[in-house]
Amino acid sequence: MTASKSVGRTFKFFVFLGRRTGKTRVFAVLGLIPVALAVVVRVFLRGRTGLMADVSTEILMVFFLQFYIVLLALFYGTSVTAEEVENRTLSYLITRPLPKPAFVLGKFAAYAFVVFMMVAVSLALSYFVLNAARLGEPGLYATFLRYLGVLGLGILAYMAFFTFLGTVLKRAIIVGLMFGFGWENVIQYFPGSTQRFSIVHYLKSLLPYHAGSVSGGKGVALLLFRLEPTDPFLAALALAAITAVLLALACVVFRTKEYLFED
Amino acid sequence: MTAVIAAFHLSKWYGNVLGLNDVSLDIEEGVTGLLGPNGAGKSTFMKLITGQMKPALGTVTVRGRKTWNDPSVFREIGYCPEQDVFYEDVTGWEFLTGLLGFYGYARPAIEERAARALDIVDLTEVKDRLIRGYSRGMRQRIKFAQAIAHDPEILILDEPLSGLDPLGKRKLIRLIKGLRDQGRTILVSSHVLPEIEALTSRIVLIHQGKILAQGDIPYVRELIEAHPHQISVRSSDPRALAARFVGDVSIQKMTFGPDGRTLVVETHRRDDFFGRLTGVVLEAGIEVDEISSPDDNLKSVFEYLVGK
Repeated sequence: MTASKSVGRTFKFFVFLGRRTGKTRVFAVLGLIPVALAVVVRVFLRGRTGLMADVSTEILMVFFLQFYIVLLALFYGTSVTAEEVENRTLSYLITRPLPKPAFVLGKFAAYAFVVFMMVAVSLALSYFVLNAARLGEPGLYATFLRYLGVLGLGILAYMAFFTFLGTVLKRAIIVGLMFGFGWENVIQYFPGSTQRFSIVHYLKSLLPYHAGSVSGGKGVALLLFRLEPTDPFLAALALAAITAVLLALACVVFRTKEYLFED
Repeated sequence: MTAVIAAFHLSKWYGNVLGLNDVSLDIEEGVTGLLGPNGAGKSTFMKLITGQMKPALGTVTVRGRKTWNDPSVFREIGYCPEQDVFYEDVTGWEFLTGLLGFYGYARPAIEERAARALDIVDLTEVKDRLIRGYSRGMRQRIKFAQAIAHDPEILILDEPLSGLDPLGKRKLIRLIKGLRDQGRTILVSSHVLPEIEALTSRIVLIHQGKILAQGDIPYVRELIEAHPHQISVRSSDPRALAARFVGDVSIQKMTFGPDGRTLVVETHRRDDFFGRLTGVVLEAGIEVDEISSPDDNLKSVFEYLVGK
């Protein structure tokens, strides 16, 4: 059996399970918050475009980039292996004729897909509601796709990190919370090369510029503050490398570690 | 006969706690019963066989192949875990078809195997119900179904009869015997001797991580019979009852319980005692409320055997 087929089988199983869990329902509802806020803002803007719409869109991206995808990645990433151990369902998986890394990669891919779909639906609804007055502008769609791509890369990188944490630590969620909402929120504002030790730095480096936004140093500079953005190509490469390395490490750990249940 | 499962000087520690201690054992075709009290090392042994744990010392092989990190061996093995754990948000049907998907069968084959396994364990009617809504017996049966659904040659069943009602137990015992007759290798664990007795005459006694004895049922029975049994009789007049047994040579010791109504008897010949008790009670007109055996469990027998 080829490795890709093994991963594919695991993916299929966990996409199905991932859709079924109560966790997914809760987070999907959470994804409606920005949509509701977008509707409120839209009513307030009364068809106006320009800076206010830009500001609102950037606020939206702060929510997605620094809260929603981090939270989703934390809960789904750590659960790739940890939930099987805590729920003791691991026995059902590791006594099947599939290499152990295939479970990590397949379940990671499945959960990343579920998370991405939740984020995509939430972003699409809120973004187009906010920018309803500009639906005729082709640039709007290009920006949307770019946002979506950045969030997709963010989901992969954060989930890889949290998946790795889940394979190594027993209480990965606590460490994950400190990383996602502590380290990431602080380090990105450090000057010099220190900010490059955060994932969000690379994600912000990939975001499009708006007039009056970061590049202009006015308006929403505080919200999507970037001290020294990395070149977009290098930023994308860094995110891909972070994802690949952490996933590889997670696979190695899962293959060699014995998960003993506390009977 | 060649051993299907072979353990050679197998040991496993959990930190400082010894889970399994220098076990060497060959398991052949047919049903082998692994008998021991809770915490004896039965599950540890089974987890080592199924590659869920890595041996600290020694080796364990299935058809000559080591099981730790060799997934190919799991096409031949079906494992039924002891714990009552599931993916609760799926139906019985989805649980089986989902797990069968890991074997690479085409969809029709998956459905056919799942349907057959559900039929065997009598769960076809409730296959579309969420597992979270299953009774304890149903959960035990769906767990067994996932172990046999891919038609494995070797079955490792960790306490498969626990939680089943007498009828369910009888059905499962018949089923396991049927699988045995098809030439499969089955290792079943239990801490209840009659359960193992109903399945096989070949048993392995395990206690504190060590194999105490292995052989057929009569040999083990003999060992167990040598162990003095405690029998507690709660009645209207325990002293009158005791007076009737004072001269009985099968009685080794008699004491009275703190409630003043219980007579605790220690005997090597339990069956003889029960035989006499009925007559004595009828003769003397003593009302008996309850008869129990406080140490009628394997743990005390095993402790007795270890102490020998």
